[in-house]
This record gives sequence, C-alpha cells and structure tokens, in this order.
Amino acid sequence: MKSLEVQNNQCFDRAAIQFLDRDDFRNSVSELMQNNCRMIALTPVDVNNGRKIIAVLADSSSSMIHMVGGDFREGKLEFESWANDFPQTNYFECELSENYGYVPLNHPWLRPVRKQNVILKNKPYQFFKLEGEEVHEVAVGPIHAGVIEPGHFRFQCHGELVYNLEINLGYQHRGVEELLLKANQNQRIILSESIAGDTTIGHVFAHCNAIENLSNTQLSLRAEVIRTIASEIERIAMHLSALGGIANDVGFALPASSYGRLRTLAINSLAAICGSRFGRGLFVYGGVRFDLNETIINTVVENLKIINDDVREINKYLFSSVGALSRFEETGIVNTNLAKSIGLVGLAARASGIEEDTRINFPYGAYRYNPISMITLATGDVFARARMRAIEIEETIRFVFDQIENIPQGEIKSEHGRMAANSGVVSIVEGCRGEIVHIVFTDEARVLSNYKIKDPSFNNWYGLSLALRETAISDFPLCNKSFDLSYAGHDL
Amino acid sequence: MKDAVKIRILQGDPIVHDVKNVVLPERYRGLPLIEDKLCADSCNKCAVVCPTNAIKLNPVSIDLGLCVFCPLCEETCPESIIHFSQNYHTAVDERANLKITSEVKSISPQMTSEKIRKYFGKSLKLRQISAGGCNGCELELNALSNVNFDMGRYGIEFVASPRHADGIVITGPLTENMANATKICYEAVPNPKVIILFGTCAISGGVFQNSEALQRKFLQENKIDLFIPGCPPHPLTFINGLLDWLNKSK
Repeated sequence: MKSLEVQNNQCFDRAAIQFLDRDDFRNSVSELMQNNCRMIALTPVDVNNGRKIIAVLADSSSSMIHMVGGDFREGKLEFESWANDFPQTNYFECELSENYGYVPLNHPWLRPVRKQNVILKNKPYQFFKLEGEEVHEVAVGPIHAGVIEPGHFRFQCHGELVYNLEINLGYQHRGVEELLLKANQNQRIILSESIAGDTTIGHVFAHCNAIENLSNTQLSLRAEVIRTIASEIERIAMHLSALGGIANDVGFALPASSYGRLRTLAINSLAAICGSRFGRGLFVYGGVRFDLNETIINTVVENLKIINDDVREINKYLFSSVGALSRFEETGIVNTNLAKSIGLVGLAARASGIEEDTRINFPYGAYRYNPISMITLATGDVFARARMRAIEIEETIRFVFDQIENIPQGEIKSEHGRMAANSGVVSIVEGCRGEIVHIVFTDEARVLSNYKIKDPSFNNWYGLSLALRETAISDFPLCNKSFDLSYAGHDL
Repeated sequence: MKDAVKIRILQGDPIVHDVKNVVLPERYRGLPLIEDKLCADSCNKCAVVCPTNAIKLNPVSIDLGLCVFCPLCEETCPESIIHFSQNYHTAVDERANLKITSEVKSISPQMTSEKIRKYFGKSLKLRQISAGGCNGCELELNALSNVNFDMGRYGIEFVASPRHADGIVITGPLTENMANATKICYEAVPNPKVIILFGTCAISGGVFQNSEALQRKFLQENKIDLFIPGCPPHPLTFINGLLDWLNKSK
C-alpha cells in the first residue's frame, strides 16, 4: 500500500508517510475514496513547507485512517481536482487552495472558505447568480436577527422557492490554528476550549487525546469515564438547545420554553462538576482537574432524571402535533446518496441513514469499553434531524446513568510526558454535531509543526445549502436550526 | 389541550425570582479574591501559568478584563493567596475597575447618567453583535430570554434590528472580518446609544489577544459603557450589571 494506515489516536513516525509524485498521489487518493473512504483533511505536514501535503481519509468500516503524502516540490502547485467524481473533497480543495495557493485543476466551484475580498482567477470573487424572469436574490447577514454568530447567506429564488443557497463564512476567523502553534500548553487547552464554545468539551477532548498520545500519556479509567460523562452531558445540552430552536422556529412556544428549561439543568450539571456551565477547566493533559464526589453525582443524577422524565413528555407533545409535523416532514431533504457523496458527518448524516458515529466507528476514551448504540433514521428531512436528537437524548442519558453507576475508582490525573519528536497523530471525537478531527504534527525539536482542525460544520454547511434547494425560503430558519451548525468551528 | 396543560404543570416555577442572591455551584469561579499576604520569595508561578497574562506581581493583581476564569493561578499559588469566590457580581463601567487587588472585595458599576436612566431606565432594547465569539457568550445571552432568567421582566430585551435598538452588546474578540459590519451596525443605532462588552474576548481579546486576525479599532474609537467579564460570563452577571447601572436593583 502507498498509504500509511493508523488507528484513531495512534502516534506515528512522520517518516513513515510516503510522499508520492502528483499523479500517483491523486490516483492513490481516488482509489481510497472508491473504496468508501471519506476525506477528513488535506493539509501540509509542516505549515512552513506547503509543498509537501497529506490527504487524510477515514474508513469507517475498518476503523482505519489512511494517510497519503503528495510531493509538490517540483513544478507548479497544481493537481487534477477530485471533486467532479467525489464532491466530498470540494471544500477541502478550496481550503487548501486558499491557505497554500494550490490550484485544483477543473475544480467545479472554487470559492472562498474563510477569507474576505478573495481574488480568484485574477478577479474578485462573485457570488453564484441566477438570471431570468421572476428570479430574485435575497442576501442575509453577516449579522442576523437573533443572538447568533455571523455568516452571509445568498439565496437565488424563483418566487417562494430557493434555487440555490450560497453560504459565505469566515467572519469568525480568529486564527485558532496559528495561535495553537505558538501557544504554551496552558494556552493550548484554553484555545481548544474556545474553538467552538458550544462544543467546548468535544474540541478539548480531541485536543487532549491528540497531545496525550503524542507524549504517550496513559489515562486512568476514572478520568476517561469522567471525560465521557461530561462530553455526553454537553451533547444533551446542545440537543435540547437545538430542539428548543426548532420548536421556536415553527412558533411552538410551550415545547420551546420547556426544552430551554431542561437545557439549564444540563449545563448546570456541568457547572456542578467543574464550575463552568460549558465544561471549561475540566480537561487537563493526563486526565481531569475535578473529581466527582457523592454530592456532585447526586446533583447530576437528579438533574438528568428530571430531564429524562420531562423530555419524554415534551417530545411526545411536539412530535404528535399535526401543525409541527406538517412543517417538519419532507422539509429540507438530504437523501442518503446525496449525504454520502457530499460527505455529511455526525447527526445530520445519521438522520440521512448513514451509519456514521465516531464513538462506534473509531472508539476512543471510555467508549472503547462501554459501547453506545448506533441510531439512524432514513428520511433526511427536518423531522429526522429533530427526531434523531430526541432519541439520542434518551440513549445518552441511559449511557450516562450506566457510567455513573459503574464509575471506576482511582486517580483522576496521571503524569504527562514530553511530546515525541517528528511524529504525528490523528484524533477523532464525536462532538454534539458530529466528527471533530484534530491532526497534530511535531518537528525534530518537539515543537508543533502543524495543527489542523476540522469541525463537523466544515462538512455539513454544504448539506444545509443542498437541503434548501426547491424548498420554500420561509423554511430556511427551520432547516438551519435542524442542522444547528457552528460558525466559529468552521471559521477557526 | 390536556397535554399542553400537563407540559405547563411540568414547567413548574422555574424562574430565578431573586437574581441578586443566587447560590451558584461550589466550584463556580466568580470574582477572585486576593488575600493580603506576602508572596513567597521571588515566586511568580501564578503570573507564569496565566494563559492570558492577566496577573501582575508586587503586589498581586488580576485584570478581570483578561482573565478567562480558569483555575490555574488558584491551584498553582503555594501560599493560597488567590481564591475564586462564587460572587457573580462582576460587571463594571470603567475598564480600570476590573483590576482586582487584595483591597478589592467586591465590584459593581456606578449608576449611569441621569440622561441615560431617563431614556432607558424603563425599557432598554439591545442589538447583539457576535464578532468572533465562539458561541459560548452568545448562548449565555440567549439564556437570558429563557424561562429561568427571563430578563424581559426588567424591560431589557434583545431586538432583531439595530434600528430598533438603544445600544449594542459585543461578544468575541472583534475579528478583522467583522470590523466593517460592527461599525455599520453601530452607526445604524439611533442616538443616544450604549456599548456593552460581554465576555473577556470582547474586553481585551482574551486568549486571542495576540492574533493577527483581529481588528479592535472600533473599541478605541468609541466609549464603552459597561464591561461584563467572564468566559463566558454568567447570565446573572449581565442582569445584575445592567440593573445596578440603571439603578433598578432595589
């Protein structure tokens, strides 16, 4: 094989990556994608040497991660785009092109990812535009009506129906990846907690897994379990928040306010564990900072019991309302084939019938010993994405109760060593929206040479775009909330 | 209908009635208190571990405008001089008052001018701008409208358009890409208007302070009325800060 195969969180030697010439590189990657691998990153190994890149692909069926190196030291930074055959690579190629000046030849739609005022092919980038009679354009954002993050949306409409929605992001770009390379280890944890503040634990989990495996740090079982409990409580909180948003967007106030009340209980449980309603300060290299004692366990269990009992009633009420269902069903459909071809991940993928859950396909932390169930729905509409959340909340609460009941004894923090030189690691974690990937490389001085982050929103924004096609523009808020994507996680 | 009544009964009475005296979880990190003790000889551990350089020595002080409320300094100090209390009343109206020394045991904003109280004392509508916020602060601002905190009962609400607003609330470290939109939005708010900074990132850039992707000129060009420190600040910090500032907390 021309690719390096590793498992999730497996530290490997940088020298083990073979760097192929451009044609060989392109063909090897195509071959892997033909065999059902998904692209999860396209990035250099060293940010100062953009001419040697790797394509990282995940194979969910075998739980292996493939890495193919490409050597572009000679000739132009050009390669034949994969995106015409494999649309999932489209946005990764745009990102590589924006950051390192590569030109993917015959790319179907090269567009800006995070930068503003981009010049492509010697002229300023223009939004996709539809022309003809009765066609009109709606521009929204970056600042939206609600208290949410900024992003620009361009709708090309024909009457009420949306023909195309172009999503232009980057307003939240704070340079997280660049800062992570320069930061000391205390700053790194805070930075990774701030990649997406609603997925604090998801990202800091991926970050700690990566750094700990680079430095061969073993965690105690107790620490692993506390981490997973926190990560699942975060999932409950975000699912409740999204369900509240969905109910609110169809003007259904009672469930909306009830989900809001339950979310408070979920995040207050995190505050009981670590002092922050978003789980900040819990993770340290080598374990967790705060232990669970009886009082805290009682608070958490009590809160989750209320959520568990009440959410069933509220779900029943919401999902049996004819008015709500008529808005949810067959709205914003992404079918299984489309979802596969554009590489949807996480909750949105599972709602479209794809069995894709990092906790099961690439198990890490306590999920290696304590499995969680795979839940999928087939229809890929707003209903499926809403219903997925309702089912996942129940399954997650069951899982957390199970963890709390059988929590192992022991230390919560172990000694953290030095990072290995000239090494790399791929760390994948299932955040509340889906697959979070952190890819880290060190150089010979044990200093980080590249830190690449992929939030699930990076894949899924395009899914929202496609879900809107042939859908009434008035359903946009509902579709948007059903995906509930992160701007900060995408923009970095 | 029967189901609706059932759900309403489940809802109970979730509202925080007394927003001034809530007991937050034991591990909650609010206003840090600094004991009036001498540091060990040439010890600078707290200043070294601080991820945002918020701590200055001789004597020890913490700048809450930079502090991300992580517990690193508290757990590092060999003399246990620094201690995060559960006090969530941390809003101020002057940047300088965010500097916590051993003499500072509580902070609060000064009552605002009579003009502002006359205009906005009974009804204050705010437009929120996320300028690089990670969605932590945004979620806490959203939580202000939920059934627990229900800020609307004090006449303070978030509105959709800057044209309807009396002021703006900025979250995030002000990215270059949001600089223009922030300025346009502020200009669209009719006079008189206020600016509130919510969260450490907005106040100082926080953990992003050295990023090249920021553009914080807007903050130097305009007067800031209220600073709400925290990462993210607790919703109650925001409510109490505004009530004190508008002199409504009786």
